[in-house]
Amino acid sequence: MEATVLDSWVLAEFETPDVLVDATRQMREKGFQGMDTYSPYPLHGGSEALGLPPSKVPFIALCGGLTGLTTALAMQTWMNTYDYPLNIGGRPLLSLPAWVPITFELSVLFAAFGIFFGLLGLSRLPQPYHPVFESEAFRTASTHGYWLSVPHATGQDAAAVIDQLKALGATQVTVVTGEKE
Amino acid sequence: MAETAATHPLDPLEPRDLVAPHHDDKSLNETLLDHVWRKPGKGWFMLFGLTLSALGLLVVGVTYTLARGIGVWGNNQPVGWAFDIINFVWWVGIGHAGTLISAILLLFQQKWRTSINRFAEAMTLFAVMCAGLFPLLHTGRPWFAFWLFPYPSTLGAWPQFRSPLVWDVFAISTYLTVSALFWFVGLIPDLAALRDSSKTKIQRTIYGLFALGWRGSGRHWHNYKIAYLLLAGLSTPLVVSVHTIVSFDFAVSLLPGWHATIFPPYFVAGAVFSGFAMVITLIVPARKYLGLRDVITDRHLENMNKVILATGLLVSYGYLMEHFVAWYSQNQFEFWTFYVNRATGPYAGVYWLMITCNVVTPNIFWFKKCRTSIPIMWVASIAVNIGMWCERFIIIVTSLSQDFLPSSWGIYSPTWVDWCIYVGTLGLFGTLFLLFLKFVPAVAISEVKELQLELKHAAHQKSHGEH
Repeated sequence: MEATVLDSWVLAEFETPDVLVDATRQMREKGFQGMDTYSPYPLHGGSEALGLPPSKVPFIALCGGLTGLTTALAMQTWMNTYDYPLNIGGRPLLSLPAWVPITFELSVLFAAFGIFFGLLGLSRLPQPYHPVFESEAFRTASTHGYWLSVPHATGQDAAAVIDQLKALGATQVTVVTGEKE
Repeated sequence: MAETAATHPLDPLEPRDLVAPHHDDKSLNETLLDHVWRKPGKGWFMLFGLTLSALGLLVVGVTYTLARGIGVWGNNQPVGWAFDIINFVWWVGIGHAGTLISAILLLFQQKWRTSINRFAEAMTLFAVMCAGLFPLLHTGRPWFAFWLFPYPSTLGAWPQFRSPLVWDVFAISTYLTVSALFWFVGLIPDLAALRDSSKTKIQRTIYGLFALGWRGSGRHWHNYKIAYLLLAGLSTPLVVSVHTIVSFDFAVSLLPGWHATIFPPYFVAGAVFSGFAMVITLIVPARKYLGLRDVITDRHLENMNKVILATGLLVSYGYLMEHFVAWYSQNQFEFWTFYVNRATGPYAGVYWLMITCNVVTPNIFWFKKCRTSIPIMWVASIAVNIGMWCERFIIIVTSLSQDFLPSSWGIYSPTWVDWCIYVGTLGLFGTLFLLFLKFVPAVAISEVKELQLELKHAAHQKSHGEH
């Protein structure tokens, strides 16, 4: 049987969003990688502090929209012009202006699916279990707590990381361990 | 009180509070989640009983219709569209305010939308569900409703894509889907908040299931922010397109009173008008019951009344132009429809009720006293809802009942089945809404917290600037 791979994180809570963003930036400047912040609402300057690249969601949305556009145009043209031509009051079989409403609707629909599933996919949700949930105190992250997680090699002494976080203003620090993501 | 004044440096013209100043994240959380954890009061159960009884009428009406066919409705020759299409257009229109508030006001960075968007989006969702029922039933055999969609059938036929009725199928189903996605994406962080403040294991499991494991991660927020903004951006043209396409159902025909190029903008304005009125109708009692006065303030209500006034004037302009063009075109059928049939014909009572409710009523909101008086705005909002229903009745029934040839004229009156189904959808809407108020936070909590932080930052900056 393979041994389960375990990951550890040092979790630190901060008093306010501003202190958290500040601490995140300083920790990253010190060379810590793979950190994450947790907050009940998006942090102002949070993405910059974590050094995240631009989101891929807009690109996925664009792909979705273009897929919808081509699907709708191809579908209507093939169905009403070639496969089952209908003469309605002598109008041309390829009546592009009449194709516009459905083309628009399908572009919007596919783009919205792209955004929604893109968001879930990029965030790897749904993910009902995550090791950070092991800490009961962490439950405030969705209501009024501001947390920072720093990855840490399992089994090693985390004292150095904990000290640094406390120096940056952390009010409480814990270590959680769980299965690798 | 100096602090109260200092919370609005961004907006010197708006001296009133968006969020009562005495809150922090924790207390906002408690206030806004309270109504979910609290046992519903007597009032809730009484209303729920009422809406459930109305829902029973829907079951009766629909069952009878399915068993006997749509001949049990009042529809006849020449009035082939009646309550079914009136109610469809009315419900879809009501839905529009939700998308307007959540999407268009977000893009315009109107901060006051934050506390009412969840509420209005829920209204949209339920209204569109009610709307969808009517055309489905009107097909006569709703169990074949999938024929409306292009699927490779053994009949070997495809839908006729030049028909506005097929456009409608795509518009309404897209609208329902995108509204639901937008609503759910907005809900995810609040569902996580519910999961993390739940007291029992069952609550925690159920809300946890719907929260999808959201943990407020900065890497997730990074994608979330842009996803939410893009969904808003998409919903904005979508909401305009939906009622435009609904209006094409009429405008593309040749019937006097329907065949008008003004229909798309006039329908969209009417939709927003009736939708905002419905928001007022629902939010006034709900904010009292839910104890949400701190976040849905008098200023929100006043702003909505201003929107009602503006869109009411647009609708009035639409009426004016219809009548002007009917005279200016010198088309005898158009002239007859607008000046004789509608104003003095068999349905003149409905016509004048429409004028009173839609043209006269909104003008009371020129006066600040009316804009800020709760009883006045509530009664006015109901009047607008009635007026907009009358508008659809007038457009559909008068034009169909008396068209070109007097020999083909007829009179329409609804049957008890029509009324059952209409009142039944009100019951369906009310039931869904009450369940929403019980199980889901009625205000977007994470957004209100973010707004509060912004207001505090702005106040802080201002006070530094002064020293």
